[in-house]
Amino acid sequence: MSFQDWIFSFHLLFAATLVGGLVMSWIVVVALYSTRAADETLGFSRVATIANAAIILGLPGTIALGIWLAILRPEFHPWDGWIIGAIVLWVVATAAVLRSFVEYRKPVAKARELLAAGRAGASEELTALNRSATALLFRAVGSVAIVLIVIDMIYKPGA
Amino acid sequence: MLAAIRPAGQDFPVLLHIVGATIVFGALLASVGALALARGQVRLFRIGYFALLFVALPGWILMRLSGEWIYRKQGWNDVPDQLQDPTWLRIGFGVADWGGLLFLVALIVGGIAVLRLRGGKSGAGLLKVTMSIAVVLAIGYVGAVWAMTGKPNYGTAAPAQAAATGASTTAVAVTAREFNFTLSKTSVPDGEIVFTVVNRGKLAHNFWIGGKATPLVRPGQSATLRVTLDRGTFTYICTVPGHAAAGMKGSLTVR
Repeated sequence: MSFQDWIFSFHLLFAATLVGGLVMSWIVVVALYSTRAADETLGFSRVATIANAAIILGLPGTIALGIWLAILRPEFHPWDGWIIGAIVLWVVATAAVLRSFVEYRKPVAKARELLAAGRAGASEELTALNRSATALLFRAVGSVAIVLIVIDMIYKPGA
Repeated sequence: MLAAIRPAGQDFPVLLHIVGATIVFGALLASVGALALARGQVRLFRIGYFALLFVALPGWILMRLSGEWIYRKQGWNDVPDQLQDPTWLRIGFGVADWGGLLFLVALIVGGIAVLRLRGGKSGAGLLKVTMSIAVVLAIGYVGAVWAMTGKPNYGTAAPAQAAATGASTTAVAVTAREFNFTLSKTSVPDGEIVFTVVNRGKLAHNFWIGGKATPLVRPGQSATLRVTLDRGTFTYICTVPGHAAAGMKGSLTVR
């Protein structure tokens, strides 16, 4: 394997980590939707931490090695339309996903507050935060942007 | 840059394959995370198992079926018998198929555990077995992603050396481009044949004939291949995925 092959391979491993993290986060989002109790919310937040770590690792790793490859490979240029499109989508995805992290921290804080007050059972307020439309919207926008990047990479001009 | 440039008609199955593989990987991570961090919470145990059953399993089916579709689109089922599937492809199929078997075991063991939990019994031990299998599978998939993307057995072409030809040696110049080969001779006498392969295309190619292949030749580079052939007709192809199916193949007559 050449140096470029290694860069390409790690680029794809970071991409797999990113998309895998997103899939994992969606499983947690769906599970949270029917979660009403504080201890269960905290349980899912522990799982979400792994998904978030995978996303945080995958986002910069994928873009950094992708741009590096665009510079290294003679058939690609960083100013190619499909690469600029992917960078724009990456910025949208990063902003939306990071904002969704902030939104999904709210039910975790509420769950800790409820447990500290000795209320481990179902809570209407916590259920509403677990079903936050804002959090869901940002996570969906980030995920759609990532899926569009994957489609852009596969259907790029000349492919 | 999720995929290198490839012949037309393969994009959709590749998209399905990548989507399926990442669904499997993400669901395995979710399952491992939920089972490892459950701390006795039955709902987390169940989510850990359901992530395998309702997310990873459909993802695996999508990944495996689209992988087979790509295999046929790229013409791997239609190459000369002497040409074995490359190592990266065997790793991919090995992880998918043996992993599929392990996955089935994880689903059965985990299913029994979830049923025990439903009956008020302990299923934590069986779910730990399920989790361990999921960890092994996740590691296997990382290896498969590396193998499928890095394609480690191709190597790269060294600068071309002048092909020294003796009395019983025939020199054949081969020009590779997207997606065909042009040979200076299509009929040669038997004995040693030295192919000088020049890549005039924009993608990397190789040249395989009589059980031997050049390394991967990048655009503008060249490589030589020495093969001794008896009388007969020999198929030559480019073994880069999909290139032979797209037209980079032909036959050489040895008289």
